[in-house]
Amino acid sequence: MIARLRSINPLTALAIAVLLVFVTYIVPAPTGPLAALGLALVLAAMTGAGRRVVVLAAAVAVPTWIFLAVMNVVVAPEGDTVQVAGIDVAPAALLPAAWVSLRLGAAVAALGWVVMTTPPQRLVRALAQRGLPAWSQYLLAASLAAIPEARRRAREVLDAQRCRGLPVGGSPLSRLRATLPLAGPLMVSLVTDSERHAIALDARAFDARRKRTSLTEVADPNDERSLRRVIWVATALLALWGLLR
Amino acid sequence: MCRILRPRHVPSQATVSTIALALIPRAVALNLAIGAIVAALKLPVYLDSMGTVLVAALAGPLAAVITGVTSNLVLGMLSSPTFIAFIPVTAVIGGAAGLASRAGAFRSVPRALAAGLLIGLLAGAASVPIVLALFGGVTAGGTGIVTIALRALHLPFEAAALVASVSVDVIDKMFSCATVAAVLARLPRRIGARFGLPQPTA
Repeated sequence: MIARLRSINPLTALAIAVLLVFVTYIVPAPTGPLAALGLALVLAAMTGAGRRVVVLAAAVAVPTWIFLAVMNVVVAPEGDTVQVAGIDVAPAALLPAAWVSLRLGAAVAALGWVVMTTPPQRLVRALAQRGLPAWSQYLLAASLAAIPEARRRAREVLDAQRCRGLPVGGSPLSRLRATLPLAGPLMVSLVTDSERHAIALDARAFDARRKRTSLTEVADPNDERSLRRVIWVATALLALWGLLR
Repeated sequence: MCRILRPRHVPSQATVSTIALALIPRAVALNLAIGAIVAALKLPVYLDSMGTVLVAALAGPLAAVITGVTSNLVLGMLSSPTFIAFIPVTAVIGGAAGLASRAGAFRSVPRALAAGLLIGLLAGAASVPIVLALFGGVTAGGTGIVTIALRALHLPFEAAALVASVSVDVIDKMFSCATVAAVLARLPRRIGARFGLPQPTA
């Protein structure tokens, strides 16, 4: 079961995550968000990403709860207030803040499970097998590949300009002024680079309309396809119920 | 599904050229990599739409919308799924910046600042419904602190979220647009010509 779950098609995982997000936001709190969070964490634990998903969800949910609590309980108290150390506070506002954070945490955990356990390239390949156009595949795959290079160049430009004596401290205005000598070379180099890549794309007949083949196939068994259909129908019915109730 | 790649014999406003297609992933990477510069300078802005604005200025609204959407999809895959919720906002930024570019907004820095003001207003307004629906009206960060400060001044809840979001976005987009306009003025002529930028007369 666990081995099967670890090799699940990324589209099946995505369908489950989308259903859980709909459950989180359509089924009333706390039942819906708690059920979705529980299931997302079980799936994450079974696929070896439990701790990372908990950290990811908590990193979004806890600060949101703190900000909401500060705003609605202390700064601008909503509802009945009581005095604590001479300050009016509204403890009843803690619960709605908790439900908002719980929903957010459950949605992040559901999608985070997919993000943490699926290499982006595998997801792109699975989407390509289901008919994602070549240009979309290129955009996603090339963007993922370009990020480490762009980060390296940003650090190089930063180091080079510092060596030339560019001040990176001081008032906010002087720091804003320093942005152009840093962002400028980075932007020009990326634009120049794109010309070279465009020539390569044209040389490889990128805009040919023929169906492409892939060296590696992502397994998509029939039972998973059936499961996905059931999940999408359940998601649509849930959305309909949410609209009509 | 629209066909995005333009057959060379059919120029169209609703398609994206191969060079624009090659630029988009680099602009997505710029949106993510610019954070290193922002962090080093300890800037009070994000500048995470600079790549989107650059594509808007060079390749028009459709390519810019695709850049914005792809940026947040990739961020959602690599960083936190919460970015996926803000995809409509990045699409608005890309579309508005592309239309501003068609109106000549990036021909000078003052024009770019005016365009940034409008784009910031639109982006801020577009993000408020998402922040209200998903985050309860406050995000944990700089914008959230501004929202709390405005609530302390007895501003209504929705108004506080709107003013906070718009004020942060306006500063961010004005600066992004001005930087892009300044960079375009320094872009090598040959590269500018590949994107159809007007060339200065000698």
